[in-house]
Amino acid sequence: MSATAISTSGSLLSGKPLRAVAAVILIVNGLFPALWILLTSFKTEAELTLKPITWLPHAPTLQNYMQAFADQPLLIFLFNSFMVALLSTALTLLISVLAAYALARLNLRFRGLIMSLIIAVSTFPLVTLLVPLFETMRALDLLNTWTALILPYTVLSLPVCTLVLTSFFEGIPRDLENAAMIDGCTRFGALFRVVVPLSAPGVFTAGILAFVNSWDEFLLALSFNSNPALRTLPVGIQLYQGEFAFPWPVISAALVVGIVPVAVLIVIFQERVVSGLTAGGLKG
Amino acid sequence: MTVTSRLEQVAERVETRRAMLSRLLDPDETTLGALLLAPAAVLLGGVIVYPVCKLLYTSFLDLSLTSGAPARFVGLANFQQMLEDPVFWQATWNTILITLITVPGALVVGLGLALLANLPFNIRWPVRLSLLIPWALPLSFAGLIFAWFFHSEYGVVNDVLNRVGLPGAIWFNSPRLAFAAICLTITWKASSFMAMIILAGLQTIPRSLYEAADVDGAGRVRQFFEITLPLLKPTIVVALIFRTIAALQTFDIPYMMTGGGPGTSTATLAMYIHQNTVSFLDLGYGSALAVVMFILSMCVTAVYLRMISGREGAR
Repeated sequence: MSATAISTSGSLLSGKPLRAVAAVILIVNGLFPALWILLTSFKTEAELTLKPITWLPHAPTLQNYMQAFADQPLLIFLFNSFMVALLSTALTLLISVLAAYALARLNLRFRGLIMSLIIAVSTFPLVTLLVPLFETMRALDLLNTWTALILPYTVLSLPVCTLVLTSFFEGIPRDLENAAMIDGCTRFGALFRVVVPLSAPGVFTAGILAFVNSWDEFLLALSFNSNPALRTLPVGIQLYQGEFAFPWPVISAALVVGIVPVAVLIVIFQERVVSGLTAGGLKG
Repeated sequence: MTVTSRLEQVAERVETRRAMLSRLLDPDETTLGALLLAPAAVLLGGVIVYPVCKLLYTSFLDLSLTSGAPARFVGLANFQQMLEDPVFWQATWNTILITLITVPGALVVGLGLALLANLPFNIRWPVRLSLLIPWALPLSFAGLIFAWFFHSEYGVVNDVLNRVGLPGAIWFNSPRLAFAAICLTITWKASSFMAMIILAGLQTIPRSLYEAADVDGAGRVRQFFEITLPLLKPTIVVALIFRTIAALQTFDIPYMMTGGGPGTSTATLAMYIHQNTVSFLDLGYGSALAVVMFILSMCVTAVYLRMISGREGAR
C-alpha cells in the first residue's frame, strides 16, 4: 500500500512530463524578457507598428544596431561601464582579500564584532549616501569622473566579497601556509603565493559579484555622471529617448549590446557565480 | 667626525630601516590584523561613516545650492516641512506598499521556481541560466524592458490579453495599473535571486528525511510543510531581510517605467530623495528625506542582527 503511494507520488512529481513542464516554465520566466528584446532589436520601425503585433521579425535587420552605435556614443558608454566596473572590482578584491585573510586566519579579539559590522554594512542603503556623496563629490569637483563611482561601488561590494573570501580562506589548510613560512616566506608572501592562488576560484567568484554589482548600478551613476562622455551604459541608454519619440527597436539593440557582456560572463562561469551567491552572502 | 664613523652611522640607519621593514613585512598577529583591516576600515569610514554623519548634520540645515545662500542651521524645519509635504507621504506610502507587495510576492514566486528547479533534471545548465540571467540583468534594463512589455499599443502584455479575449489596458495612464505593472516587474526581477538562494537551501536538506517520511506514509504536501519549510526557514529569513532592504530603496524600475507618474502616484522615497538632491539641489531637504530612509532600513537591519546573534547564542 505504502509502496504504491511512493511510486504514484514519485511518478507524479519527478516524471518526465512534469520535468518538461517545469523546464518550460523556468526558461520562459527567466529568458523571455531578454529574448523579446532580442526579437524587437531585429524588427524594423514599420513592422513594430503593425497591429496585431508580430512575434518573430518578418524581415530581420541589423539596421537598429548600426543606428544604436551611430545615434549615441554607445561604445563610450560601454567603455565607461567596463572601466568603472573593472577598477572598482580590482580595488574591492585587493581590500577584501586582505580583510578576509585577517578574519579567516588571525586570532582577532573583536572578530565577532567585526563580522557583525560587515553584515550590517552589507545591508546599508546606498540611497542614503546619495546626498552627502553628491555634496562631497561636487565640492571636490569629482562629479563626472570615474572616481565618483569607483569609490562607492567598491564599498557596495566590499561586504559580500569579504564574506565570500573569508569562507574560502577558511577552507584552505593552515599547514600549507605554515610550510611556506617555515621555508622562509613572510606572512604576506604566504598570503599572495600560497593562499590567493589556492583560493583563486573564490577570488574569481567574488570578482564576478563585484563586477555585476558595478555594471548594474544606476542611481549613483545617474546622479553623479550626467555628462554624455562619462555616462555608464544604464544611464546612457536613456539618451535614446527623444522628447516624444521612443525608438524601441534602437533602444532594444542598445539593451542587447549591454546585456551580452554580462550574459557571456554568466554563461561561462555559472557554477561559480551560484556558489558565490549562496556561500558568501545575500545581496541583489 | 671621521669618515668611518659616518659610514657606521649610515650603516646603522640602514640596519634600523631594514629592521623596520622586516617588522612591517612580518609583524605579530595583532599588528598584522590591524594592518590588513586598515584599508577596509579607511574606505568604510570615508564612504559610509563620514557621509552618514554629514547627512545627519545637513538634515538640520537650510542648504539649497540653487539659491547660492550659505548654509543656515534651521533645527527640525526640514522634518516639519516633510510632515506637511503630501508628496513625501505619497512616496513613503508607495515605498512601503511596494515592500509589502513585492517581498512576499518574490518569496512565493521564488519558492515556486526553486521547487521546480530542484527537480532531477538531466541537464542542469538551462535551468541554472534561467535563474541567473534575470539576476544579472540590471534593474534599469528590467524597467525599460517591462515598460516595453506594458506598452499600450504594441506591448506584448496587451497582445496576449487580446489573444485570450480580454481587453488591453493603457497601463501607464492609470495610477493603479502603473503601480501594478511596477510591482509585477519588481517581483519578477527579485524572484529569481530568491529562487537561487532557496534552491541552495533545498539542496542541503538530506534525502533520507524524505525517504523516512515516505516510509511513514506522509504525503508530498505534508512533507513540504513539515520537512521542507521548517528546514528552509533560516535561509528564507535571511533572504527576506535583504529583499526588504532592497525593496525600501526601490528606484530604478519605477524611474524607468513611469518616472513616478502619472503625477506623483508611483514615486518612491528614493526617487523623491534623488529629485530633491540632484534636480532641485535642495540638499537640506534631501538629507532629511534620506534620514527617514536610513531609519527605515536600520530598523530592518537591527532585526536581522538580533536574529543572527540569537542563532549563534543558541548554538
